[in-house]
Amino acid sequence: MEDTPPRLSPLERVGRWLGLTALILGGFFPFLWMVLTSIKTEGELQKFPVQYLPGTLNFANYAQVFTEQPFARFFFNSLTVSLLSTVLAIVVAAPAAYALSRLNIRGRGVLLTVVVAFSMFPVVSLLVPLFRLMRGASLLNSYPALILPYAALSLPVAILTLVAFFSSIPRDLEAAAMVDGSSRLGALTRVVLPLSAPGVVTAALLVFVNSWNEFLLALSFNTRLSMRTVSVGVTLYQGEFAFPWPLIAAAVVIATVPIVILIAVFQKRFVAGLTAGGVKA
Amino acid sequence: MALPSPSTSQGAKPRRLRREPSEGWLAVLLLAPAALLLCGVLLFPMLTTLRDSLFVNKLTEPGLGTPFVGFKQYVQMFGDARFGQALRNTLFFGVLTVAGSFLVGIPMALAAHTPSRVRGLARVALLLPWAMPPVITGLIFAWLFNGQYGVFNDLLVRAHIIQEPLRWLSTPGLAVAAMVVTIVWKTSSFVALIVLGGLQGIPRELTEAADVDGATRVQSFFRIILPMLAPSLAVAFIFRSISAVQVFDIPYTFIQQAPAQGLLETLGVYIYRTSIEFLDFGYAATLSVALFAVSLAVTAVYVRFVRGGD
Repeated sequence: MEDTPPRLSPLERVGRWLGLTALILGGFFPFLWMVLTSIKTEGELQKFPVQYLPGTLNFANYAQVFTEQPFARFFFNSLTVSLLSTVLAIVVAAPAAYALSRLNIRGRGVLLTVVVAFSMFPVVSLLVPLFRLMRGASLLNSYPALILPYAALSLPVAILTLVAFFSSIPRDLEAAAMVDGSSRLGALTRVVLPLSAPGVVTAALLVFVNSWNEFLLALSFNTRLSMRTVSVGVTLYQGEFAFPWPLIAAAVVIATVPIVILIAVFQKRFVAGLTAGGVKA
Repeated sequence: MALPSPSTSQGAKPRRLRREPSEGWLAVLLLAPAALLLCGVLLFPMLTTLRDSLFVNKLTEPGLGTPFVGFKQYVQMFGDARFGQALRNTLFFGVLTVAGSFLVGIPMALAAHTPSRVRGLARVALLLPWAMPPVITGLIFAWLFNGQYGVFNDLLVRAHIIQEPLRWLSTPGLAVAAMVVTIVWKTSSFVALIVLGGLQGIPRELTEAADVDGATRVQSFFRIILPMLAPSLAVAFIFRSISAVQVFDIPYTFIQQAPAQGLLETLGVYIYRTSIEFLDFGYAATLSVALFAVSLAVTAVYVRFVRGGD
């Protein structure tokens, strides 16, 4: 049914084809252009009309990304911060989401609205107080300085995604396990958690992408070079007036590859999470 | 467990069954970590901002101390031309980019919704702009709009729309246009994904019935699909408005490349500069409260109209 579209007129066929082409070209072109830029030489770039394809494959820019700045370190920092904030957010969000979708709680609707309201907090407004908080706790230039706010900022979206998934698991299954003598905790670990694995993966992906992409707090809190993350790292190759584009392009490609891999592998989970979470939120 | 359950209901109504005395405590226990994290890292700092906005606190002038000045900094803010400009810029970019993201996002969702052999590819194309780090989006588009070797200039010259490459980022009006295009590219995906969710919820029988009744596709789009998308569009609109008010990363990267700074400086960028660059924490807190107030207003609209049913 899904794959047998209704009969289309030739005009509609052309329109559909144009729409899809525009979508795919528009989505991929900017990134592909960076890939092409990153393997060109400075000479090949400084041409107008633009030379679209590089003459030779030149990977020197990629090597230079790592020698000019400690980019491997930036990458490691981003990975550490993003993974740990994802773990923290999920560990905190899962019980909360379970309570909100399964327990008798008075004011459940109000609580959910409060969660949504937290997701609308302006990060910029938190810059000064969080900066002072982190400085007071001697946490500037440390991983927790980013992990704590990243987990907190993504917590609402994680909770809402998990609530949507938990609610879609039939209560009867859980009730049956409890009738069979499982405790609520037993039912949770043996029935609800395995069934909600896709929801947990979706929530984790959303938190990871948010954390990987965050720029403002990383820029302001972790100013020591060895504590920079990739989102800030990619901006460090430009001088006041000089923009070495092949080099910047190579750094941009490396910084974006994890995201591209994640969305290519988990595209269905991402789409399910964003479409379901957004509306049901 | 031994208590007899009066009704083993499976309906949507709040369950009254197995009301173990521990359930309230269980709820508190399960919700506590989330409440702690949200209050400790978001709510408490926000409250301290309210307090900070009433005190002078300039790291560049430690001699001043941190005296209480009441609402003096709010008075200062309303007389601050740079604040006025930043607020106007934010609203200007907000209106254009939110409208733009709907104009582009809805057709994107329709294209991605139609079944086709390249559906997977279309889905990744839809997700990529959404998932791309905003600061990297800013860098990429600054290069695409480059005044000498930018590919947009090249395409426009080849299409004979312009004769000479345009200096996009160093011409004030063009820099504004370039930034609008960049933000629209980045944010249309989000609108498209929410709308796609709405489209997937429309039963096919409905449009097929309209087909049978002789409605054209355009008619059934405007009479059936669009009205049914209304809730999705409302959600997308609120979330887009919120993020538009708070926009920071893309203007920040553009300002690094464009001299037309006054026109590109949003409220978010001004707050960043006041705090981290000018080290005026007191005034930055005042500006933060202003931004928070604007966000809160949009959130209130959301609570009122979207969650009103709860």
